Amino acid sequence: MNPVVNPVADPAIDPVGYPGADPIALPWAGLTDYQCFGCSPHNPGGLHLVFEAHPDGVCSRFSLGRGFESYPGIVHGGLTGVICDETMGNLIVLRHGRSAFTVSMRQRFVFPLVVDRPYTCVARLDRETEGNRLYQASAEVLDADGAVCAMATATYQPFVLDDALRQLKLGTPEATALSAALSARTFPSPLSTPNGATHDHPSH
Amino acid sequence: MTIPVTDPEIVTTVTEIAAIELGVPAANLSPETDLREIEGMDSVKVLRMIAKIEHAYDIELDDEVVFDLTTIAGTTEAVRAALAERA
Repeated sequence: MNPVVNPVADPAIDPVGYPGADPIALPWAGLTDYQCFGCSPHNPGGLHLVFEAHPDGVCSRFSLGRGFESYPGIVHGGLTGVICDETMGNLIVLRHGRSAFTVSMRQRFVFPLVVDRPYTCVARLDRETEGNRLYQASAEVLDADGAVCAMATATYQPFVLDDALRQLKLGTPEATALSAALSARTFPSPLSTPNGATHDHPSH
Repeated sequence: MTIPVTDPEIVTTVTEIAAIELGVPAANLSPETDLREIEGMDSVKVLRMIAKIEHAYDIELDDEVVFDLTTIAGTTEAVRAALAERA
């Protein structure tokens, strides 16, 4: 256990100027042995990311400590990629009720992220698909002033949970519960903003 | 999604994406428009444009190429070269 270096998902951080929304419950929240490095609250070494609705998709607010740095005071770029990947992947899960593996991801770094500063990752789906076709998503990491510090684009292959049970360490009861939770998603598309307007395209 | 791949069609697609991402009417963009001269332009907008183009064509443009792009025509040539390399 290393609580000192764990990042903190801080609901008070609002770097994108969007009113903070309530955290969205992920389908795996009900699994007792859920250890996702990105989003499980049970993994002591994990990022503990939580996700909120955003007009473009979902967002995650975070601040990373020195345990996640590369150069002194600078957040390791690999962690930036993890957060972008987590936010894009969970957007697919929440919007479509489907799990998906990352097929490819490309990042571009604009400004270094500084440790202990608040950032927000905003993910959006660039192409909606049906069936088993690929999803395309993108994400941006914004600082407290809304400046883009990093961006990522990625492609995801959705999978049927039952077909992946051999690869997943997941028992049948948990798989059944997870399938039910995925099917019960209520996340709308496109997202409604607090004033009822909708966004079909990135707005910032 | 099928993306046109002849040069004029690439110009059209690149122009449409550029207009959206750079926030200017497509009618104001020509193949020779200097993207750096567009009011309110910045490198992040150009990178967003490039990311959308890469996704549309399922290609990756080399960073050296991206940082030298200044026009729609140049971007079109980079896309064409990337498609040819992939073929």
